[in-house]
Amino acid sequence: MKSMKWLLRREIWEHKGAFFWTPLLIAAAMVILMGGGFAYSLAYGNAENIRFEGHDVVSIQGIPQALRYKIAHVAATGYLGTAAPLFIVLAVVVFFYCLSALHDDRRDRSILFWKSLPLSDRDTVLSKVVTALCVAPLITIAISVATSLLLLVVGMIAATGKGLNLFAPVLMEPNLYLSPLYLLAFLPLYILWALPTVGWLLLVSSWAKSKVFLWAVGIPLVTLLLLFWLNFMISPVAPMQIDIDFIGKQIVTRMLGGLFPGAWMSEVDGSRLRQLQDGLDAGVVLGASYRTLANPGVWLGAVAGVAMIFGAIRLRRWRDEG
Amino acid sequence: MSAVLSARGLTKRYGKRTAVDGIDFDIPPGRIVGLIGPNGSGKTTTLKAALGLIDFEGELSVLGFDPRTQRDDLMKDVCFIADVAILPRWLRVKDAIDFVEGVHPRFDRKKAERYVANTKLKPGMKVKEMSKGMIVQLHLALVMAIDAKLLVLDEPTLGLDIIYRKTFYQNLLEDYFDEQKTIVITTHQVEEVEHILTDLMFIRDGRIVLAASMEEIGERYTEVMVPPDKVGAANALAPIDQRTVFGKSVMLFDGVCRQQLGQLGEIRNPSVADLFVATMKGTYA
Repeated sequence: MKSMKWLLRREIWEHKGAFFWTPLLIAAAMVILMGGGFAYSLAYGNAENIRFEGHDVVSIQGIPQALRYKIAHVAATGYLGTAAPLFIVLAVVVFFYCLSALHDDRRDRSILFWKSLPLSDRDTVLSKVVTALCVAPLITIAISVATSLLLLVVGMIAATGKGLNLFAPVLMEPNLYLSPLYLLAFLPLYILWALPTVGWLLLVSSWAKSKVFLWAVGIPLVTLLLLFWLNFMISPVAPMQIDIDFIGKQIVTRMLGGLFPGAWMSEVDGSRLRQLQDGLDAGVVLGASYRTLANPGVWLGAVAGVAMIFGAIRLRRWRDEG
Repeated sequence: MSAVLSARGLTKRYGKRTAVDGIDFDIPPGRIVGLIGPNGSGKTTTLKAALGLIDFEGELSVLGFDPRTQRDDLMKDVCFIADVAILPRWLRVKDAIDFVEGVHPRFDRKKAERYVANTKLKPGMKVKEMSKGMIVQLHLALVMAIDAKLLVLDEPTLGLDIIYRKTFYQNLLEDYFDEQKTIVITTHQVEEVEHILTDLMFIRDGRIVLAASMEEIGERYTEVMVPPDKVGAANALAPIDQRTVFGKSVMLFDGVCRQQLGQLGEIRNPSVADLFVATMKGTYA
């Protein structure tokens, strides 16, 4: 347990730039651009005109109360949506982290230093899994919440400048406080969906001598292409065909795309989300997302992910580094 | 006390090539053993097998553990420097010390800090900012502060300048080594280690061709400076090696009585390097 703490700390030391500074920089850029936009509209914009839901709302006597509450509700419920770019960056960062996690130290031979310490290969690989699936997302979640809150405040100040005071109704919205918890509640689902991708990338990272990215992306895509070609060749004679659509969707997408936040959305029952007229209701999305666990695909993917992580551990134990 | 390292029929094959060919040896505790052989003779493979880094055939017991199946237990009592300059580039001096202290139960932080204080290393320095010599200093500070029963050094001074090399072996002998510890060193630079070794193992083509303590070697091998008029008599005693220095023949004898040799000329103990060259004759032929 104590070793695990140090192994996780090691990952942070090594990847502080990717996990911490990258999202922070992007968050800063977002605050400057969006906040600057708000400030600009505040300074030069037409104070009486607000665009809302595609209509110009003209306020001469001030904004109607009902509309004011509606705007406040949308803002308090959906403000975390402004942080979406950070989660896309997270997916990219973790993808490349997994690819290099078990390869970089083999390439520069510093693996021999780590192997000279009493650290089991199992703990080492697991520390990388935990970093990819928990530590990095948690850092991004924290930065996202802070960024979104900051943007919300800037936006509300800008709105106040236009005669629309949203502070009281927004602060009274329970969703304002619940949203970060909803975001956290997505994490277990995210882990299950990301497991096959993390497992596959770590397996390649532990196996490939070089060109990890090419192997990781090439093997599934080339396989898909070969199957496609095979289908084409046998189609005149064979009654049965390989279901490429199934393989592509169920296997290749899970192998490579599981880290993308909201990967489960492809399996979400769309009709449930149609009720979302008042902005993004995290509670509804959360429920609909967790309902995807009723399908066996995600579980089979997670099991395959665990198996590949086990494979990565075995490879790391016996790979001869020359 | 039983052997720290004992091998029976240790064999390692890479495809068709046999790197280590069924070797047997025992290394008792409290020894500094030099494992010496030309490139590709199987030294590093033997050590990697002992450290559980590769699979092998035959039996190998290290501190009573099987390195294949009990590596995690073994590594609490064994430490090794596999190569110089292999610390990860992003590691900082203070983080390295914290980390090893965190994961190694036998690490003495004070000792490591004392070593570091004697160098130009600064706590906030990253490995990528260091010269090769400084990286070795950091690595040594970490490893020497670990109270391991067995220390394995594979070419520890490769690529270092003479000052670092001298300090390295000096520290090893003065601060690290004691009767409870065992050190196994492989190196090309035989001259630098010969005065610190207690035992020698020559390895050639995956086989051990000589394994003896330094005392035994001193008794067994004799070098004689033979003046030209006695060369015939000397050749009759079958020298294992012969070279000419300033018109005199320098001959190396294995297991010939010293008194007898004394009559042929001036006798002295051969250097390990000369012994090595004589033993390995024809390796590259």
